[in-house]
Amino acid sequence: MEWMYMHMPISGVNILWPGLVLIGFSVGVIGGFFGMGGAWMVTPGLNILGFPMAFAIGTDIAHIAGKSMISTVRHSKFGNVDYKLGIVMLIGTMIGIEIGAQIVMHLERIGLVGSVVRWVYVVVLALIAFMVFADYFKAVNNKKRGDVGAHGAEGLTWYKTMHRIKIPPMMTFKEAGITCSMWLPIMVSLFCGILAGFLGIGGGLLRMPALVYLIGCPTHIAVGTDLFEVMISGLYGAFTYTLKGRIEIVAVFVMLTGAAIGAQIGTVATKYAKGMGIKVAFGIAVIACMVSIILKQYKMADLAAVVILGAISLICIWICKIMFVGAAHELRMKKAGTPID
Amino acid sequence: MRKRLAKLGGFIALVQVVVPSMLLAAGPKAADLVVVADTRVLAPGLNRYFADLYNTDILVFAVWAVVLTALMGSVLGVLMDKIMVSTGLNLSKRKIIEH
Amino acid sequence: MRKFTAIVAATLLLGLLAAGSAFAAEVIQGKCLELNKEAKTLSIEEYDINFDKDFKFGHPTGINTTVDITTAKVGIEPVPGDILRISYVVNGDKKAAIKVMNITKQNLMKK
Repeated sequence: MEWMYMHMPISGVNILWPGLVLIGFSVGVIGGFFGMGGAWMVTPGLNILGFPMAFAIGTDIAHIAGKSMISTVRHSKFGNVDYKLGIVMLIGTMIGIEIGAQIVMHLERIGLVGSVVRWVYVVVLALIAFMVFADYFKAVNNKKRGDVGAHGAEGLTWYKTMHRIKIPPMMTFKEAGITCSMWLPIMVSLFCGILAGFLGIGGGLLRMPALVYLIGCPTHIAVGTDLFEVMISGLYGAFTYTLKGRIEIVAVFVMLTGAAIGAQIGTVATKYAKGMGIKVAFGIAVIACMVSIILKQYKMADLAAVVILGAISLICIWICKIMFVGAAHELRMKKAGTPID
Repeated sequence: MRKRLAKLGGFIALVQVVVPSMLLAAGPKAADLVVVADTRVLAPGLNRYFADLYNTDILVFAVWAVVLTALMGSVLGVLMDKIMVSTGLNLSKRKIIEH
Repeated sequence: MRKFTAIVAATLLLGLLAAGSAFAAEVIQGKCLELNKEAKTLSIEEYDINFDKDFKFGHPTGINTTVDITTAKVGIEPVPGDILRISYVVNGDKKAAIKVMNITKQNLMKK
């Protein structure tokens, strides 16, 4: 079984390369479907493969940057990426993350950091999950009552309130189909940025639901636009982590080959999934993340890894199923001469 | 063309301003790690080349890593795209259905 | 225009490739003998690359090497007895270290 192992030139360890491809693949599927980087999902997997943890973050970020690139290209073709919105949001994200990092440094000085950050993370994730499921049940009720709009039944419509804020300059985002004050996306991304900087995460996990619930983006556009931001921050992150010597470049390439296939499947699957389906699966992923953090807080790292990896596998299989069933259906219809689009 | 270049320049400038702070978001802060790759045990080849570069000039290595990651991302993206298109699926349109 | 861009990109890549392969640092590994902070030098006894169960880091060769660490990036500070791995370039009659890794104390498996 010698050929199954690959020598990592920098750390000098031998790693089971199909494992790396598999991690890349599943994170590719999930990232392409939900529009997030997914760094939090990779670390436990790498840990199990015996990958040196000193290189985990850098390797992970570089692979995420490459993968987001693949997904962004694909989403862009679907018209899922609102570049204008993405660039406007970059402004808020940048300032926000800086503020968030400053808060963390302040907390570090007064010696409160570790568990505060972790518990804030748990609360934020719980709120997101609550929001997603509240939205889901409201939409189900609306549908039962026959209250269906142009794009199907809607759940939470907080963004309608948000859109009433009319501070100039007003901006129209064509792809997302919204017109609002320029300050809305900037303030929302600022808020997400602060939280992301504070928690030390990429922020896709926060930005995706924020785009949907606060800015009023259709779910698909939220996914695509968020990936665009993940790509830009990922490339820069990869550069700086490499400068610090924290990257195993060969592993990045191996993971990327898996991610390339996964990202296509995840992204194309969004075509066959309803917006609400994406949101609910996202909510489940968020809960899995939350549970794993709580377990880690109580020093049950093994159990946490099991929870994360289990959730990833299930969601990944579910997404693949959507993709293959949807694609098969489309091809059948095409053959029958009644193409759907 | 010039207009496009100007746009691109503006974008690059924006990225340079925006991105350094985004790095913090990319993960917990990491201290410098001093690792020397053991090139004595590597045969000449790709692994040896990267390990040598890692040992000798980390800056060139970092530029290389980013360029190659981006390059590989786009090459694999285009390649997989071709494969996807060849399946005959319609990949240019989709309806927005929320529920 | 497209051709031009392609040529520029290719040149840049080749330049990078050349820059990368021109100077490859030498690597030695062995037991730390002495760290001289005034003279900024570090001496080790070199080990070979025949690793086995009792000699995880290679067998001692009896060759003692001294490197200059003025410009080197030194990780966890070495004390005599630590196993070190050093990358260096030969600079005139001096061996100038680039990086010094403390294998004994550096745990890559931890975050």
